[in-house]
Amino acid sequence: MARMKFYCDAERCIECNGCVTACKNENEVPWGVNRRRVVTIKDGERGERSLSVACMHCSDAPCAAVCPVDCFYTTKEGVVLHDKDICIGCGYCFYACPFGAPQFPEDGAFASRGKMDKCTFCAGGPEETGSADEFRKYGRNRLAEGKLPLCAEMCATKALLAGDANVIADIYRQRVVNRAASSLAHGVELQRQKFRATPERERTRTRGSEG
Amino acid sequence: MTVTEFVDGPLWYFALAVFFLGIAWRLVVILANGWRGDLSRPRRSGLTGSVRALFSRFAPAPGIGRRIGLHLTGGYLFHLGLFALLLFAAPHVAFYAERLSLPAWQPMPHWAFVLVSELAFIGLMLLWLNRVLNPVTRLISSTGDHLSSILTFLVMLSGCLALEQAHEPLRVLHFFLVEVLMIYFPFSSLMHAFTFVLSREALGYRYGRRGVPV
Amino acid sequence: MRHWWVWVWLCLGATLFPPVHAAGPSTDKVLNPGAELWNEVRGRQAAPATTQVQGRDSQVLVNEWGEHFRDYRRQRFVRYSGYLLAGVVSLLLLYHLLHGGLEVTESGRKVLRFELTERIVHWLLAGVFLLLTVTGVVLAFGRFVVLPWSGPEVFAVIASASKEGHNLFGPLFIVALLWFFVLFVGRNLPRLVDIYWLIRAGGMLGGGHPAAGFFNGGEKIWFWILTIGGLAVSTSGVVLDFPALVEGRNPLVLALVVHGIAAVVLIAASFGHMYLGTLGVKGSLEGMKSGLVDEAWAHAHHVLWYEELNRKAQAESSAREQGQ
Ligand code: HEM
Ligand code: SF4
Ligand code: SF4
Repeated sequence: MARMKFYCDAERCIECNGCVTACKNENEVPWGVNRRRVVTIKDGERGERSLSVACMHCSDAPCAAVCPVDCFYTTKEGVVLHDKDICIGCGYCFYACPFGAPQFPEDGAFASRGKMDKCTFCAGGPEETGSADEFRKYGRNRLAEGKLPLCAEMCATKALLAGDANVIADIYRQRVVNRAASSLAHGVELQRQKFRATPERERTRTRGSEG
Repeated sequence: MTVTEFVDGPLWYFALAVFFLGIAWRLVVILANGWRGDLSRPRRSGLTGSVRALFSRFAPAPGIGRRIGLHLTGGYLFHLGLFALLLFAAPHVAFYAERLSLPAWQPMPHWAFVLVSELAFIGLMLLWLNRVLNPVTRLISSTGDHLSSILTFLVMLSGCLALEQAHEPLRVLHFFLVEVLMIYFPFSSLMHAFTFVLSREALGYRYGRRGVPV
Repeated sequence: MRHWWVWVWLCLGATLFPPVHAAGPSTDKVLNPGAELWNEVRGRQAAPATTQVQGRDSQVLVNEWGEHFRDYRRQRFVRYSGYLLAGVVSLLLLYHLLHGGLEVTESGRKVLRFELTERIVHWLLAGVFLLLTVTGVVLAFGRFVVLPWSGPEVFAVIASASKEGHNLFGPLFIVALLWFFVLFVGRNLPRLVDIYWLIRAGGMLGGGHPAAGFFNGGEKIWFWILTIGGLAVSTSGVVLDFPALVEGRNPLVLALVVHGIAAVVLIAASFGHMYLGTLGVKGSLEGMKSGLVDEAWAHAHHVLWYEELNRKAQAESSAREQGQ
């Protein structure tokens, strides 16, 4: 059985938010909830990178460890899913998750968060596969239809990859090798220019001028 | 028939019937008892007295307000909170529209719902504690009175536990307790919701006629 | 080792004049771009991260506290609070079996110990506390204690009810706690006799009852545990109830940790209080129910208060005689 994984290639992601939109549309996610988000570091500075994150379907999932009602389960494909009929919307999974994946329909007063919602790797939920209930609560079950998550399928630059961990790892390894080769071809100097960290002095200066 | 279906269906209609017929029957019996005429020469208008008594009794008699402060606060918090919840909590409004075919009106916002529940709760607990801890009220409380307190408390507690509105069994439990309360209502001291008017009228009429200030 | 002072000076010199290369990072070193990026992702460099998606902490890529929270909850909180609660219960049980409850032969004469309002507020606080304890314990330990018995569907109902009940009763606890504090703080200020009382462990070491005022040292300690612990659960509880008060998720995690620890301490202490109030010291419960305690009870357990009562009664009666 394949173990499903996401991978986002920071060298390719162009922060177009196509994955965010694709997910929202495909799964008809509740208002105010985004199962996936693109985070940009050093926006507008040298060394800017973007990454698309959602649930990473951890092998040893922290969310499942802290859930007071134990409503998570891992499918044969390694996808971490949860049961909304059992979830009490306490928010503990959001505190424990490394990637801030769990989302709540409302974050209003009186801890009235509503049921937790998160990326399902387009694998639906515990309801009957393909049923209307499954779609309403968890979104599309594309995996059951033999398709991969739409966010990755839609990614224009193929920065976001989803699928069997081994295949993904191979693709990424290939990319790294190619990149290393190209940087060798252009000489070490180029790598220095491109990747050198912003000098400490300059960094403090830019931060100071911002404030 | 599942428990849910029973509570939502037959038991609900039964409770509704007992509630309304029972109240009507109780009131009719009380009124049919008749009014023993007052033969004395009227000093003032009995009618004015009865209208005044209906409202003046909402405030404590002069001088005892401080002594019964807790009782008074609890009473007002609980009753006002209860009416606000009954009439303006969003799930209740939706229920009236759906099950009683009433036109839906504007419910109160969630934060107000929560705030009012808190106030009603603290009021009910104060009332109940006063009933059992105050030697006087404990002495004059019957089993029925305690049952009324406990049932009301359970109804409110189950309602607040069902607040997430996500788990059917909690709603059914709340609804079931409401039905029990409705069936119990006409035969208990909870009838004071209606009879307080009658007793104040009668007293006010008498006092008014005799010139006693009310 | 004759020249030990050379070493001392060398060490001092090294701290005062550190080697030049440690003065600052050299700027023309090529950093590993992978490591660089990873540091940014972990948020270690405080570089500003941005995102189009609005939400709590949505700009944070990796939540550094997540693992600590998990570790705290699964490895520490649940385990150690389980030990504490079980330990307190077995200690009380052991004490009761070996020592038994205290009892005094009644005199039949009653004195007033608690006013009506005091009793009402005590039971209001106690009732809300019990509801919060039951619902809170379900949230914290239910997964390990209840869930295996009830199955997930039933437990989900219990847990949802507990969460809603807990959220709703929390603010009531704050009201009751403040009210209780105002009524009782005057009688709970520490006094010298309390220290003697505590040194002799309230007479548990033998040698008869040490003297105590209206409240003894142990009761005063419980009062202050309740006040301080109550403030801790209240403030953290308000944060958990109204997440909009804080930003990000770390304050919420902190609140949950404080809340859990303070709550468990309160619950453990309340076990002791409940034992002493019922089985441990017979006649105490009556005082909180009817407000009246037996004179013999008052003399045995709170002799200073009892003497004060007598003095007052005497002063009153002599005043009355003089007035006649
Ligand atoms: C005697 C008083 C209290 C006790 C014994 C108590 C106990 C607990 C316990 C054991 C938990 C679970 C903690 C965990 O799972 O780590 C909890 C959670 C919580 N408590 Fe309390 N608590 C008390 C008072 C309060 C108060 C005064 C408030 C609010 C004003 C409050 C609000 C909360 C909230 C919001 C949670 C999180 C529950 C959720 O959202 O799922 N608690 N409490
Ligand atoms: S929700 Fe977070 S912790 Fe849970 S599997 Fe997904 S990424 Fe991991
Ligand atoms: S929000 Fe739901 S899924 Fe998350 S920990 Fe709480 S009960 Fe579990």
